[in-house]
Amino acid sequence: MSFWRQLTFGLRSLARRKARDRDVADEVEQYFQNAAAERMARGLTPEEARRAARAEMGDAAAARDQARVYGWENTVSALFSDLRFAARQLTRHPAFTAAAVLTLALGIGANTAIFTVVESVLLAPLPYRDSGSILVLNTRWTDSGHTAPRVTGPDGADLRNQSHSFAAMSLYSGGNEGVELRNHSVYTIAAGVDENFARVFSLKPIAGRLFVDGEAHHAALVSEMFARDNFGGAQAAVGQTIHIEGEALAIVGVLPDAFDFPNHAQVWEAAPLSPESKSRTAFNYKAVARLRTGVALATAQAEVNGISRRLANAYPAENHGKRLMLEPLQEAITGNARPTLLLLWATAGLILLIACVNVTHLELVRSLERQREIAIRKALGSSRWQVMQPVLLESILIAMLGGAAGVLLAFPVIRVLVAMAPPGLPRASEIHLNVQVLAFTLGIAIATALAASLLPALRAAKVDPAEALKHNTARGISRQGAAALRDALVIAEVTAAFVLALGAGLLLHTMGNLMTRSMGYETTRMLVADADAPAHSAEDESRVVRQFNELFIDLAALPGVEHVAGIMGLPTGSYGSNGYYQIRGGLPPDPRHAASANFSVSSPGYFQTMGIPLQRGRDFSAEDTFTSPFVAVISESLARQSFGGADPVGKQIQCGLDSDQWMTVIGVAGDVRQNSPAEAPGPTLYMPMTQHPFYANQIHIVLRTRVAPLTLMNAVQRNILAVNPLIALHFTTMDTMVNRSMSSERFRAALLSCFAAVGLLLAMLGVYGTMAYSVAQRTFEIGLRVAFGAHRGAILRGVLGHAAKLACCGVAAGLLLGLAAARLVASMLVDVRPMDPISVAAAACLLLFTALAAAFVPGWRATRVDPMIALRME
Amino acid sequence: MSADNTDVIQGTLDMLILQTVSLEPMHGFGIARRVEQVSRGVFKVNPGSLLTALQRLERAGWLDSEWRQTENARRARFYTLTRAGKKQLETEKAGWTRRASAIARLLRAEG
Repeated sequence: MSFWRQLTFGLRSLARRKARDRDVADEVEQYFQNAAAERMARGLTPEEARRAARAEMGDAAAARDQARVYGWENTVSALFSDLRFAARQLTRHPAFTAAAVLTLALGIGANTAIFTVVESVLLAPLPYRDSGSILVLNTRWTDSGHTAPRVTGPDGADLRNQSHSFAAMSLYSGGNEGVELRNHSVYTIAAGVDENFARVFSLKPIAGRLFVDGEAHHAALVSEMFARDNFGGAQAAVGQTIHIEGEALAIVGVLPDAFDFPNHAQVWEAAPLSPESKSRTAFNYKAVARLRTGVALATAQAEVNGISRRLANAYPAENHGKRLMLEPLQEAITGNARPTLLLLWATAGLILLIACVNVTHLELVRSLERQREIAIRKALGSSRWQVMQPVLLESILIAMLGGAAGVLLAFPVIRVLVAMAPPGLPRASEIHLNVQVLAFTLGIAIATALAASLLPALRAAKVDPAEALKHNTARGISRQGAAALRDALVIAEVTAAFVLALGAGLLLHTMGNLMTRSMGYETTRMLVADADAPAHSAEDESRVVRQFNELFIDLAALPGVEHVAGIMGLPTGSYGSNGYYQIRGGLPPDPRHAASANFSVSSPGYFQTMGIPLQRGRDFSAEDTFTSPFVAVISESLARQSFGGADPVGKQIQCGLDSDQWMTVIGVAGDVRQNSPAEAPGPTLYMPMTQHPFYANQIHIVLRTRVAPLTLMNAVQRNILAVNPLIALHFTTMDTMVNRSMSSERFRAALLSCFAAVGLLLAMLGVYGTMAYSVAQRTFEIGLRVAFGAHRGAILRGVLGHAAKLACCGVAAGLLLGLAAARLVASMLVDVRPMDPISVAAAACLLLFTALAAAFVPGWRATRVDPMIALRME
Repeated sequence: MSADNTDVIQGTLDMLILQTVSLEPMHGFGIARRVEQVSRGVFKVNPGSLLTALQRLERAGWLDSEWRQTENARRARFYTLTRAGKKQLETEKAGWTRRASAIARLLRAEG
């Protein structure tokens, strides 16, 4: 009640300021009139009555003032009028205001944009119900410390059956698939998931229902988007049949668009709860689980450890040293992006630091200008707070303006960031500005304002009026401390900018290394077609291989095509396999680390098409068929790893890709970098398509062309569809694929370069500001020197020398800081040492040059000082 | 404390105002005059403090106010005690009586 009255009365009087004042004045007036009237009633004259009343009760004006200031609203309105005064001050100094607001907008905009990404990707909970309790299961080898985000079927099933910590656990598998509809094929991402999958994610179909275990290999769920694109709507899709890898699946339900786990899946095929792969060394599955309510992650992990130990005892050959590890799904999804995003966040922080230093510097210059005003106010008795208040208010206003401008700036920056983001950036579609981000921005805006204004405000409060009034900056008589402080700020700025430039230099150098690195194969003039041919049976698979082989001959005859081949396991491609292998007749195997390699299945002519040198032996040929002895080609590093210096040709090798037949090594090919230029060339085992038809229906067709590769796309597509219209196709070029494999590196390098550029610009502004200010301050002194015959060259040298000295100090401090920070980026560098001399030298030169360029204009202006005018100033 | 000190005892102004207004609605000068007369000139209320206190009491919900004609045909702001104000006055009176008698007992014991 009383609070409510306080509020309404206060607001009313705030809204109708004049009415309230009149009300109080009326009441006081009436009070004094009553007092006088009472005295007149006792027989005094009006004049005497008024005088007597005043003698007894004091002045009416004083009473009015006392009564008028009651109420919280007066504090508020005083604050408003102070803010109005601060705003007027800012408009009176437009250059200062614009510089400070723009600087802050850059710093805050960069931080808001990066924080938006960090918040959306790393911090915001995943968009699943109670997502915090969803975990993934990893397998960890305790002797090597290696961890893989996969499990074997039997391990996963045993864990599910023996543990009590989970409300549900699901095994799933999947990747890119060709999905066959009634009249055509589409290429989409499909996952094979068991009945528990929907329980782990608490899924509710928007149409139809979920499937049950009995429907494995006969039912599927699809996404809303898939249903809309292919059947016209969610309801229409239910009951339709699709084919994946030869299996007819009835669509029983449609999931909402927001759900696309794993990996942007559109189709979820029913798989049986009891995994089909019975091998404890084949890591064919991924697993997710939902913690039972009230069970802590550590408790669950302890239980899983116990089960891992039991399994290791029961199956020592396969499970020795193998441990199942739980990891929150959010960390599993965003873990890879974390270092990059944290690096970007740190650099954005440096930008903000530079911006902050710049604004501090601007404020400092402004507070020096009003030193006399402050001294006068102090001499008149203003308190410490009263002197500091205008400075603080002004900087809060500036921070608000800068923050608002920064948020406006962040919108386009976020859009650019999302567009540039590497395809591997998780949750990119969820990135948007939200309340948390705005709160963060408000927070940093205010923190920046306070940080930037505190130093000048404290200095203002410390001003000794007697001293300050004696100084006259225009006469070159200024206090030593102020100049030293400004120099320190410039050094800090150069330091931060140097660290940014160094980071950008390291990443750019890495990028340059990657771009010029040999992949081990040709990347130019290579057309690549992802071809997924449906095959429902072993006969289908052999037929598909035959069709592909005929197709390669047809395609090679196209004008503009030099060579054609097919491959499962193309470098940087989406298919591929890897695993352990055994050999006969080579080096003894390492008992602790089974030898492993990438597995590729290729057609004859693949090495020639890709330009991979065949160093020994021969390529596959048409004579290597399903019925002839099995053969293989190995890569150089596989030969070195398992055969040492001996000639591997003629030796035997075996792997568990699809058969355990021993294969005769017929050739050795050059090494390639399989996944990206950042990777070291590794061992690869090549097998002919004809002998592994099961892996030969999802392949990349690679064409070496004489012309721009994409110009042949239509002709190639016509040819392929003429042979089999059910083949799902997707075209690209080798250059594009390799480029895309470097997108994370490019993203980091580009962003850090942008930040370094912004940092340099701000540092340049800072150096320019300091030099321009000190030259302007020293006009009198310079004029005096010129009058006594100083050379103009010497004056310019003096200004430039000062700037160079500051820049050198900054670079030296930056080197120390860089040494510590380089560890952050060490894992992102390729063929570049964290203290790479080229990058260090480049960054140092850049900073020196920037500082000199920024100091040149004020320096030149100093040489133009006319002694007559300078000495006569004032 | 000098003999001519006419300041209201600290913290009692609110109670004096509420007590005065509890008899009949009254304007600011009337309240001041009544306090002075009833206390036989011991307490004098300064108009600035009085008007501030009246605003405070009104916002606390213990007084209501309106502009009315006085008996000598002037306009004045009249204050009326509210139900909450009556309760507050009882509380303050009880508190004051308790403290004043305690002081009186102490002074007697001293003597």
